[in-house]
Amino acid sequence: MKGLVIGLSGSELREGLSVLETLSNVTGSNVEKYAVLVSSNPEKVKGFHKLYLIKSGSIYTSFQSVLKIVSEVAPEAIVAVNMKDCVDLMSRVAASTDRYMVTEVALITRNGDDVYLARPILGGRALAYYKFTKGIVFTVAKGKFQPIEGDEEPEVIEIAPEADGYEVLGVEEKKRGAVDIESADIVVGVGRGFKAKEDLAMASELAQILGGEVGCSRPIAADFGWLDEDRWIGISGKKIRPKLYLPIGISGAPQHIMAANDSKIIVAVNKDKNAPIFNYSDYGVVADLYQFIPALIKVLKERLKK
Amino acid sequence: MNIFVLVKASLDVNLVRGDAEGNLLKDAIPLAISEYDRNAVYEAVRIKNEVGGKVIVVSALTWGPIQKRMRDFENVIREALALGGDEAHVIVDEKLVEAGPKATSLALSKLIEKLGGADLIICGEASMDMMASQVANYLAHSLGVNSVTYVRELSLDGNTIKCKRDLENYVEIVKTGLPVVVSVTGEINKPRLPTLLQIRRAFAKPLQKYSLADVGLDILPSYSANKYELVKVSRKNIIIEGASMEEIANKLVDKLIEEGVLER
Ligand SMILES: Cc1cc2nc3c(=O)[nH]c(=O)nc-3n(C[C@H](O)[C@H](O)[C@H](O)COP(=O)(O)OP(=O)(O)OC[C@H]3O[C@@H](n4cnc5c(N)ncnc54)[C@H](O)[C@@H]3O)c2cc1C
Ligand SMILES: Nc1ncnc2c1ncn2[C@@H]1O[C@H](COP(=O)(O)O)[C@@H](O)[C@H]1O
Repeated sequence: MKGLVIGLSGSELREGLSVLETLSNVTGSNVEKYAVLVSSNPEKVKGFHKLYLIKSGSIYTSFQSVLKIVSEVAPEAIVAVNMKDCVDLMSRVAASTDRYMVTEVALITRNGDDVYLARPILGGRALAYYKFTKGIVFTVAKGKFQPIEGDEEPEVIEIAPEADGYEVLGVEEKKRGAVDIESADIVVGVGRGFKAKEDLAMASELAQILGGEVGCSRPIAADFGWLDEDRWIGISGKKIRPKLYLPIGISGAPQHIMAANDSKIIVAVNKDKNAPIFNYSDYGVVADLYQFIPALIKVLKERLKK
Repeated sequence: MNIFVLVKASLDVNLVRGDAEGNLLKDAIPLAISEYDRNAVYEAVRIKNEVGGKVIVVSALTWGPIQKRMRDFENVIREALALGGDEAHVIVDEKLVEAGPKATSLALSKLIEKLGGADLIICGEASMDMMASQVANYLAHSLGVNSVTYVRELSLDGNTIKCKRDLENYVEIVKTGLPVVVSVTGEINKPRLPTLLQIRRAFAKPLQKYSLADVGLDILPSYSANKYELVKVSRKNIIIEGASMEEIANKLVDKLIEEGVLER
């Protein structure tokens, strides 16, 4: 079986290599590995039989070249990491080459004679299992497959970028702080229970005492703009896996909490005892955050300095 | 200009039902408008107010059992009309139930062609229930038109469109020509709840139903999940109580130290 990884960076290719390796193991058939790298800074990644390099900074000026490679290689499986550009590119490939696609696969598993691709649906509340069929196109959830290095020196083939009908006018940087909440050990989450931007200072102080970072629900970043988007936790934001997650004034919508389910301990603070967040928490405090958080800060200051 | 908007009646993720064995009870989950499709309708209305024309809502019912779903489905479509759609055309057919995004897109492309074709088609970046993010590009392919995904800002200039694509690490600005399918993100606008008057008016707007045969389709490319499973979350669910905020805080800190997530 031939497997093709499509990626926009070397690290995506290494994650894809890991997916093909898993696919070999689960299907029990050897996968011959091919890769396409679309990047303005292409690098050589080992472990592939052939590596196609397309020097381009955008899929909108290169997807025709990708389509050509796909029809040349004719792989039985095409994989990419679930970044938005890759999802776009993969669905173009699936449309143009008459293949089916599965988005954001989290698990490749076997049941009897069949291999399945499982992915979260319904905001993460359920898993859907799709039968692996020859020709399938799929993206994998970021971080679910540990990147690996291969030994094989690939045959490198450079292809010119080509696409009709689109012009890329440029890029804009996003406003961001220097935080990486995805790898933080402790995260304090703020939600709409906070009434004003100034009140977030309380959360920052708490995070600072705990040695953690502040994250937030979508409305705080997207609707109010009180925090930068790189602090937004959820299926359309960052996925976190800290030792301790402390959602405060967050109701517990599946699109939010499912991205925090890998946290070791979750402690919720909410004034509504029926808030769904308590179902997803190890410990819950039913209280007005404006009363409880100052008390918690005071207690932590007293106890942690000892 | 006729602006088509895709609106999906999604399973409501806030009302997910399952049984004790971890089976997902799909049929017991009500339908609701797919969140980003509100943004899509709102954007279509904004553009209509700028350049004139009509906002045409199209949809395919993809969850069964069809008979049981009709009321919910109509409510979703009426909501899209209350948000500013002028008329709605929907496909209801047993064969579309859980047939997957490829089938949905093909069916909707035939419907759009039947209605005279479009210069601008707007959909959501991902549907609330399935989050496949596939329909935009499939639909564009079936119609033989351009497509731009994850758009958080768009502007029309005659026959060209300029889109700001919201990617993980930066925003990419892409220009292309009409006709085009655009998928929009939740940041593109802030839809307001429809007023009572808008809701009442929505009931007077045209809503036309079609079968697959009506749009000239017989067989569909169908690929869907073979099995669904509820995700189990096992947390301790302990509520900490106490006579004062301080007492609760102290008990909580004790627990966190016990759990090894805080150091004394
Ligand atoms: C397709 C899609 C994708 C989405 N993606 C995301 C995502 O990635 N991330 C995300 O977060 N959301 C996402 N959402 C939105 C999500 O559905 C919820 O709307 C959102 O998470 C709610 O944010 P919240 O909990 O802060 O606000 P609310 O739901 O309004 O909850 C506020 C909570 O604060 C409590 N509260 C109020 N005052 C106080 C007080 N004084 N003290 C203590 N508690 C108080 C209330 O009881 C309530 O439970 C998405 C939605 C859709 C449809
Ligand atoms: N059955 C449907 N009827 C109408 N529009 C749909 C349907 N399914 C998907 N869409 C549109 O396509 C977008 C992306 O859906 P998906 O590809 O399923 O994530 C949604 O936000 C809708 O705008």
